[in-house]
Amino acid sequence: MNAVFAHLRISLRLHFRNRMALLYGYLFPVIFLVAFWVLYRHEKVPLLRHMGELLTVAVLGGACFGLPTTLVSERERGVWRRYRLTPVPTWVVVASTALARLFLLVTAGLLQLGLALALGMTWPAHPIALAVAFLFVAFAFIGLGLVIAALADNVPAVQALGQCLFLPMLIIGGVAVPLAALPEWAQHVSAFFPGRYAVEALQAAVNGRGFPGMRFCLLALSLTGVAGLVAGAKLFRWDGQQRFAALRGKAWLLVAIGAWLAVGAVAEWRGRVAIPADLDPARPAPAPVPAPSPSAPPPIASAPVTPIPAPRAATASSPAAVTPNPAPAPVLPVTPAPPWMSITAKDWDGLDYQVPPDHGIVTPMAAPDEEPDEYTKEQVDKVRAKLPTWSPGVDGDDLSCVRNLLYVAAVPDAIQMPVERYLPRVVYQYLLDSYPRENLMKMLTYIALHPLEGPVRDDISELGIEGAAGDPMLVRERAYLYAIKFLARLTGRKSE
Amino acid sequence: MSPTPKVRVGGLRKAYAGLAAVSGIDFTIAPGEIFGLLGPNGAGKTTTLECLVGLRHPDEGELEICGVDARRHPHEVKQKIGVVLQTTSLQDKITPREALTLFAAFYRQSTPAADLLARFGLVEKADVPVERLSGGQRQRLALALAFVNRPELVFLDEPTTGLDPQSRRELHELILALRRDGHTVLFTTHHLEEAEKLCDRVAIIDRGRIVATGAPRDLVAASREEQSVTIRTSPPLGADVFAALPGLTPVVVDGDTVRFQTKDATATLAALTARLREQRVEIRELTVRKASLEDLFLALTREGEP
Repeated sequence: MNAVFAHLRISLRLHFRNRMALLYGYLFPVIFLVAFWVLYRHEKVPLLRHMGELLTVAVLGGACFGLPTTLVSERERGVWRRYRLTPVPTWVVVASTALARLFLLVTAGLLQLGLALALGMTWPAHPIALAVAFLFVAFAFIGLGLVIAALADNVPAVQALGQCLFLPMLIIGGVAVPLAALPEWAQHVSAFFPGRYAVEALQAAVNGRGFPGMRFCLLALSLTGVAGLVAGAKLFRWDGQQRFAALRGKAWLLVAIGAWLAVGAVAEWRGRVAIPADLDPARPAPAPVPAPSPSAPPPIASAPVTPIPAPRAATASSPAAVTPNPAPAPVLPVTPAPPWMSITAKDWDGLDYQVPPDHGIVTPMAAPDEEPDEYTKEQVDKVRAKLPTWSPGVDGDDLSCVRNLLYVAAVPDAIQMPVERYLPRVVYQYLLDSYPRENLMKMLTYIALHPLEGPVRDDISELGIEGAAGDPMLVRERAYLYAIKFLARLTGRKSE
Repeated sequence: MSPTPKVRVGGLRKAYAGLAAVSGIDFTIAPGEIFGLLGPNGAGKTTTLECLVGLRHPDEGELEICGVDARRHPHEVKQKIGVVLQTTSLQDKITPREALTLFAAFYRQSTPAADLLARFGLVEKADVPVERLSGGQRQRLALALAFVNRPELVFLDEPTTGLDPQSRRELHELILALRRDGHTVLFTTHHLEEAEKLCDRVAIIDRGRIVATGAPRDLVAASREEQSVTIRTSPPLGADVFAALPGLTPVVVDGDTVRFQTKDATATLAALTARLREQRVEIRELTVRKASLEDLFLALTREGEP
C-alpha cells in the first residue's frame, strides 16, 4: 500500500509540473464548457441540459489522451523498465496511475461544475447520484485509457488511436451532438459506445430522475470499465522496445471489444436504442419545475406529455370543406369553452420576453421590408399560397390550427433552412389575417404557457418544405419562441 | 569457496525467435567478489544479465541468487539486489530526492534518501529535476537508486559506457570502494583495462558461451608463454599466407594489418619472412610482445570466425 501511495503522490506531483498535461486536463474542459455556453446561450438555465455532455467530454479527453500519453511516454523512455527491476508489482503501478488520473478527472469535473454554477446553472437535482455517476464514468474511461496505452507503441499512436475513439464518440456517439439530431443508424451505432451511457447517467443526475434513470447506464459503464481494466492489465508491457504486434496474449483485447459489443447488443435487445419522441435522454425533462402558475417562466419540458407521432387526422378532412378565403375562421361552438379563453392580459404580461434576437441563428425573423433571394422568394410565395388550404392550419379547433401554423415557422428554423428567416413573417401575417387580435394573443399565450401540449408537427412537406428536424423537443421549443416573438409584436413590446 | 555463492548459474539458455542468444552458461560468484562479464557486442552479456535480474525469462537453466531460486521467486530476488542498466530513465521532472524516496517505498528495507544523496555526491542536486542533471550526475543517481534497498548483490550493465573520462574515473573509484566495503558486484563491460583494474574474476563470453573464466592476472599468465605478433605489409596479406605456417593461434586480418599469436615467435617469423621475400611483399611494421588480456580476449572471441 505504501508503494501505491508513494507512486500516486509522485504521479500527481509530476502531473502538476507538466504544463502540457495541465492544458489537456483543465483548459480543454473549460474551452468545451465555454463553447457550449455560447452555443446554447438562449436556454432558460445555462448549461443545465448539457452538463452530462460536458462532464463526459472532460473525462473522455483525459482518458483517451491524458492517461495513455503519460503511460506510453513513461514506458517509451524506459521508466517502467527501471521499475521492473524493483519488486513493485504491476498492479501497484497501474492502480496508482489510475487513481492519480481519477483525482485529476474529479478536479476537472468540479472545475466544470463550479464554472457552470457561476454562469447561472442551477444546482444539480441529485448531487449524490451525480458523484456516483461521475465515478462510474471515470472508471469506464480509465479502463479505455489503459487499453489505448496497451495498444499504442508510442505517443503519436496514442494520439491517432485516441482520436479514432474520441471523435466518433463525440459526433455519432451521443456525447457532443444530441442523439435526436442523428439519423437512426447513428443512434444504433451509439448504443455500442460507452459515451452515450456516460452522458445519459450524468444527465439523469443533473436534471433527470437520478438513480432510477441510470441503472442500465451504470451497468454498461461498469462492464466496459472492468473489461478495459482486465484487458489493460493483461496487455500491460513494461518494455518500450516490445511492440504490440509481437505481444503474446493479444486475445485479451477481445475482452474490451466484447464488452462494448455486449452492452450494445443488450441495449438493442431491450429496445432502448432509438430515441422515443419525448424521451430524448440527451435532453431529459428538467425535473424541478417551479409552481405551474401561468405567470411563471414557461417550462419547456415539464408538463406531462402525450406523444402522438402520427399527424392527427383532421376532423373535416375533405379540402372541399375548407373555406378557401382566409377570412377569420368561424369560432366553433365548443362546450365547454376552450381553456385559452380564460387567458388574460396578466398572463401575457407575465411571460418572459427575453428571446434570441431576430437576426440570430435561433428563431430568426426577417424585417418586414427584407427581400429574400430569387429561389427563397419562390419557396416563400409557394407556402404563402398554400397556407389557406393547408389542412392542419384550417381544420379542427383554433388552438390546434395556431399551434400547427407556428410549426410552419419552427421546423425550417430547427433544420436551419434558407427560408427560416422569411416564413415566420408569412405565418405571422397569416395569423393576423385569420384571427381576431385578442383571440390570437390569448391562444399564443396559452401555447407559450403549455408548450408541450398537442402533437408536434415535424412535417410540412405538403407546403413544399421538405425535411424534418427529427427532434420533437427542439421543434416545440422553437414554436414556443416564435409564439413569444409574435406576442411581443402584438402587445407592442416590439415595434417594427 | 566455502560460503554459499551469491550467484550460481547453471546451463542458462535463452533464444529469441529460434536464434540462441545464450546457449548454456555456467558460473558462480562468491560473496565479496567483483565479477566481470566480458565479451564483444552481441555475445550474450546483456541477455545473461537480464535473465539474472528478472527482466527476461530464461528458456532453460538454474538461477540461484542470494540463495533464492530466481526463476521461482523473482520478486524475492529483487528485494536483495540492486541494478544499474546501461541507461536509467526517469521522468524528466522528478528530482533525485523524490526518485530515491519513491524507490524506497518499493522495498521492504531501505536506506534514507538523505544518506544516499550524501554517499553519491548528490546533495547539491537533490531537488533539481533529472532533466537538468549532467550525464555523470545521472549515472550517480542510477547507482544511488541501485543501493536504495541495501542490496546484497549489485549488477552493473556497462556502467561506464557513454561517460566522460572524469565521470568514468569517479565510477571506478566507487566500484573499488564497494569492494572495500565487502559488496558483491557483477558487471558487464567491453573495456578490458576496466576489467583488469576492477575485477577479482572475469568470465569471457562469446556467441552465447563462456570461453574462459578466472582472475584477469591468471588468464593473462596462462597465455604468457604466447607472444603476440602484429605485422603491416604492402600489399596487404590474406589469411591463406598464414595457413601453412606452424604454431599459430587464430589470425586476425584488419586491412593491411595482421595479428596472431605464437608460442615460438622466432621460428614463425623466420618462415613468414622467407615467404614474404618470395612473394616480394614489403614489411611496413612488425611488433612482437607478450600477450595481454586484450590479446587473449581477441583470440578467444574471434575463434571460428570466417
